[in-house]
Amino acid sequence: MAKWGMVIDLDKCTGCQACTTACTMENNRLPGENWQDVLFYTEGTYPNVSMKWFPRPCMHCEHPSCVSVCPTKATYKDPNGGFVLVDWNKCIGCKYCQVACPYGVRFYMDERAVIQPDIRTVFPSNNDRLWDPPYKGPQDDPSRGIGIQPHGVVSKCTFCYHKVSKAPAGAVDLDEDIRELKEHVPACVRVCPPKARFFGDLDHPDSYVNKLIADKRGVRLKDETGNKPQVYYLSGGAAAAVPALRSMTDSDKS
Amino acid sequence: MTKTTTKEIGTLILALIGVGIVGYLVMQTLGGQGHAAFNTTNLGVHWGLPIVVYDYFLLTSTGLAMIAALAILFGSETFRPIVKRAAWLALAGLAGGVVVLMLELGHPLRALVAIPTSFAFESPLYWKAMTIGVYVLALLILIARMLKADWDAKALRGHAILILVLAMFITAAAGVVYGSNSFRPFWASGDIPVAFIFESLLGGLAFIYFFTYLAYAFDAEAMPEGVKRLFNGALPGLFALAIFVHLLFVLARMVNGLYGNVEGLQVWQHMVTSPLFLAEIFIGLLLPLILMLLAGTRTRPWAQALAALLVMNALLISRYEYIIGGQLVPMFKGTWAPDLLSYMPSTTEWLLLLLAILVSNAINAFGELTLRLGRER
Repeated sequence: MAKWGMVIDLDKCTGCQACTTACTMENNRLPGENWQDVLFYTEGTYPNVSMKWFPRPCMHCEHPSCVSVCPTKATYKDPNGGFVLVDWNKCIGCKYCQVACPYGVRFYMDERAVIQPDIRTVFPSNNDRLWDPPYKGPQDDPSRGIGIQPHGVVSKCTFCYHKVSKAPAGAVDLDEDIRELKEHVPACVRVCPPKARFFGDLDHPDSYVNKLIADKRGVRLKDETGNKPQVYYLSGGAAAAVPALRSMTDSDKS
Repeated sequence: MTKTTTKEIGTLILALIGVGIVGYLVMQTLGGQGHAAFNTTNLGVHWGLPIVVYDYFLLTSTGLAMIAALAILFGSETFRPIVKRAAWLALAGLAGGVVVLMLELGHPLRALVAIPTSFAFESPLYWKAMTIGVYVLALLILIARMLKADWDAKALRGHAILILVLAMFITAAAGVVYGSNSFRPFWASGDIPVAFIFESLLGGLAFIYFFTYLAYAFDAEAMPEGVKRLFNGALPGLFALAIFVHLLFVLARMVNGLYGNVEGLQVWQHMVTSPLFLAEIFIGLLLPLILMLLAGTRTRPWAQALAALLVMNALLISRYEYIIGGQLVPMFKGTWAPDLLSYMPSTTEWLLLLLAILVSNAINAFGELTLRLGRER
């Protein structure tokens, strides 16, 4: 089976947030539930200040700490494709996975709304889901954390499992430019205007993602944690680099 | 009906009324707002005051159980007056913590089934939860075996070893839950499980002192001779030693945090200047340490009760600062959280602390009333 992975070329990323928007629409996420996000950072102090950005999906790690810590095995690593998914039927909402994720990519949306009006009350649900948006994706698979989540569970990026898992057998690179495969490309990859994102089989020696990783020396975020992300970043040019630090600016560390 | 019994009934009724009122308020808020009533957010502070309360009560419980077990194993007759009270308090404290945990979880009832059937051997939380189940059962059986006034410590040795092992395992597992997060330097350390064990022992001693005095309405003259002998004999020294060891762990972590450059440790720079931390160190730990070291105060009932109360509060602060402090550095949140996170518990979260205290006190008062804790001889 394939081990799906993503490559993000930071030299090409313009920080336009098209990926974030596409992900939110594709997966019906709530405001603040940014399964995919482009993070912005300000670095330096006036007058030598720069703004940088950093796209951050779930890393779908090879050895995910969120899976190890889950006391109910609700979070699991799918052996068919290497997706890290959440079974909402098993999740008890203990939030240990959120605490144990070094990348901050998990969300517990029963908490206070980040913006008003609270969209959950604007489109209330009557079937124990968090909300009932006027448009819903056709997919609903609580055992894989796809669809509108019920109350009291943690949600996360699925690598668009509902699209990728239906890719034709033998597909190596899911590229939106290949007509027969474009419906199987993750939403964030498909919409990326500068084509900074690539998706393919990390286990296939001839996949384009592997070529990119080799040619441009792809790196993984916080590799020292041992989580071994399946998302690789390319940088080294004049644009944004992989941040060594998590989120705060230099001035905050003094 | 004796004077003591009347007081016990009064305490029980008051605690139950409190549980009713606070429980109603909490259920009203959580029923209406759900977990939006908490001030935890997806920016980083995922575990707020309810988890602090749960862990505080859990560790106090295991500390009390360890003391009960050690007293049976090595305490001979000297420690006998506190064994049953320590065991019952361990259950009472745990109950308060578990009630709060149940109200904090997204699916508490599911947890009761999903955890035991998951066989998630890799998860520290799985081992912790499963062991707590066995631990409760072992404590209940121990108390049942001590119902007769002339219970024999020698016959309970095997049972005491089991409880000691279970209590230490749970405490260490609680330490692993935090200490194993290598990317959170404020938490991560191999010595955290050991620090937790010493911390829980200190909590156990403080609770034993305080609740024994409470059982006699802080009237030292009313206490049996055996309790007086213990409280004025070996216990103040042990209490002082436990405070000193805990202080050592906290200060060692603090020095490491202040000198370390690893991202995440800068939380210490914010923490050491906070009034809460200073109160913990100077009022909650150093003052009780002095009270328990000075010959003029160490055997004074007011000093012992005060020291116990201060330590109980210091440990709650310590737990709060440790659990919250480890989450203050946001993980890849960019300008959504450009600085250290700030967190202040909501009214509902404070009410949960009150609920835990009241539940524990109600159960403790019930035990004082029905089990005649520590008054066998």
